[in-house]
Amino acid sequence: MTTGHDGVELPNDDQLAELSRDELVRLGTKMDGVELVEYDDPWPVKGTRAEKRAERVVAFWFVLGALAAVAFIVVFIAWPWQYQKPGHQFWYGLYTPLLGVTLGLTVLGLGFGALAYVKKFVPHEVAVQERHDGQSPELDRQTLLAELADAGNRTTIARRSLIKRSAIAAGSLMGLGLVVFPLGGLIKNPWGKSQAPQDTLAHTGWYQDPANPERVFVRKDTGDPHEVALVSPADMDAGSLQTVFPFRESERGNPEALQAALNRIDNPVMLLRFRPQDAARVIKRVGQEDYNYGDYYAYTKICSHLGCPTSLYEQQTNRILCPCHQSQFNALEYCKPIFGPAARALAQLPIAVDEKTGYFYAVHDFREPIGPGYWERGA
Amino acid sequence: MTTTNSPRRARSRTKVRRRLSGLLALGVALVGAGALYSALVPTPQTAHASGSDAAQQSLGKQLYENTCITCHGANLQGEKDRGPTLIGVGSAAVYFQVSTGRMPLDGQSAQAVQRQSRFTTQQIDAIGAYIEAHGGGPLAPTKSDAELSQGNPAQGGELFRLNCASCHNFTGQGGALSSGKAAPSLQSATPSTMYTAMLSGPGNMPKFSDRQLTPQEKQNIISYVTSVQNGNNDPGGDGLGGLGPISEGFIAWVVGIAALVGVTLWIGAKA
Repeated sequence: MTTGHDGVELPNDDQLAELSRDELVRLGTKMDGVELVEYDDPWPVKGTRAEKRAERVVAFWFVLGALAAVAFIVVFIAWPWQYQKPGHQFWYGLYTPLLGVTLGLTVLGLGFGALAYVKKFVPHEVAVQERHDGQSPELDRQTLLAELADAGNRTTIARRSLIKRSAIAAGSLMGLGLVVFPLGGLIKNPWGKSQAPQDTLAHTGWYQDPANPERVFVRKDTGDPHEVALVSPADMDAGSLQTVFPFRESERGNPEALQAALNRIDNPVMLLRFRPQDAARVIKRVGQEDYNYGDYYAYTKICSHLGCPTSLYEQQTNRILCPCHQSQFNALEYCKPIFGPAARALAQLPIAVDEKTGYFYAVHDFREPIGPGYWERGA
Repeated sequence: MTTTNSPRRARSRTKVRRRLSGLLALGVALVGAGALYSALVPTPQTAHASGSDAAQQSLGKQLYENTCITCHGANLQGEKDRGPTLIGVGSAAVYFQVSTGRMPLDGQSAQAVQRQSRFTTQQIDAIGAYIEAHGGGPLAPTKSDAELSQGNPAQGGELFRLNCASCHNFTGQGGALSSGKAAPSLQSATPSTMYTAMLSGPGNMPKFSDRQLTPQEKQNIISYVTSVQNGNNDPGGDGLGGLGPISEGFIAWVVGIAALVGVTLWIGAKA
């Protein structure tokens, strides 16, 4: 026996070979300065009925978890999940709850099983560990410092400034790359020369390219994104609202373009038809006298405050409401704001009827940028 | 306890039997009451307009002159500061306004209030026929409620979100408008009232002509609404008001997190 750290008697090789596992455990904890005060076997008498029952309880929870997991897989794959009409929804209606119940039971079974196992079978130990006072001994500290300094010196890193600086450059630039990853998408110049005019904030999807003039027709959404349904003046009753989107003949048969026209955020336009008695009271804005077609008026759906869809149209009071911040616009007076935080009128889209087909089209884009203000917009 | 005929065991067994039979009797009574109810309940109101029947029109004229004439005038022309003209509103508007109890009006307010109808289906049809014969306008549908809710709820949902959801909320919970007006909840709306509301544009609701939304598209919208009203859209249990992320997020955070913390404390206390 030799004496090692903390006064623990260390066995030699022969003695080590003779030590039992229990003695090895005691020795190991003692070497770490840990004293096992209490380390009771929860089942000192083996094979009792109580022990077997405890084992079955633990196994019960794990088996429950396993069965619930199998049930989850079966439900996920085989349960009727397709939407059913009201009245036939019993089995379909159970789909979501069953997924939750089975997955929940799985997690619960695993957790309770682990808890029960720890409670019933892990020995209840009370261990005491000696606490070292103060810092490490002077000897340990000095030798460690010397080793570190030696490592630095021998690898010559202290005087290799080229390697040091290039490594720092690589590391910090990689960090910068990680910052660019989420933020880089925000870098763009909306006023650059290469930007198409219709993609700037000043214009919308109703923009007509002067180099390639093509009539921009007024199209409604029928719920089928690839269907082209144009609007004619006979389609709407007095006192009605229709949300419309731009359509060009060159887009016909092009599913991506047809879908994109419905998705683009600055495209939705409210096509309103006033009641005759209301249409007689309309006050038009200077310069927009010919923007309407009879009782039909078209205004952007994008609120001039923060860009919410302002489609709450009251057909008798002729107010248009924005649901986000309760702005109200008077549709009979070029959609001037009359209540709420919005400060600018909703932009009006000039509309006319195509002579050949009889459908509405937009004469040109809005004469002002739509939606919320931005730095370069001015008032 | 291995003996099977101990008195305690026997007593508990009779107790179980008594409870089971009680439960069974309750179940039978409930099912019976349900069956009786479904057998005896009258068929729901539906709009049936037949414009040309002279007897119906004279009944309609009588009802009109008893209840509507004060505000809408002897010739449907309307009275200043009381009621609008009824020329051109058609039997669809009559069906919607009268069957939902909005007309006859309680009193001048921000908008008409929904309540129990004061007229029978025959009387409503008679008034509708009278208005239709004297002013014309969109006709109330002749189809039954069951036929009107036949449609494609998926396309109806698209159209509902595009045309209706801005005021009525995406699951038809309704919402506020300006100056005390409100878009009503659709939870109790019948297919006929929804159809006639779309056609006639009651109050401040815009009109949706048959060229703007075809009859089939209207039926699709109705089939969507019937699929989300009356708890039909709550496969997870409670709809939490159908208001979207606000109520759902609130419940998830407050109730869910509180429950998790509670369970954690409980596990910690037991361990």
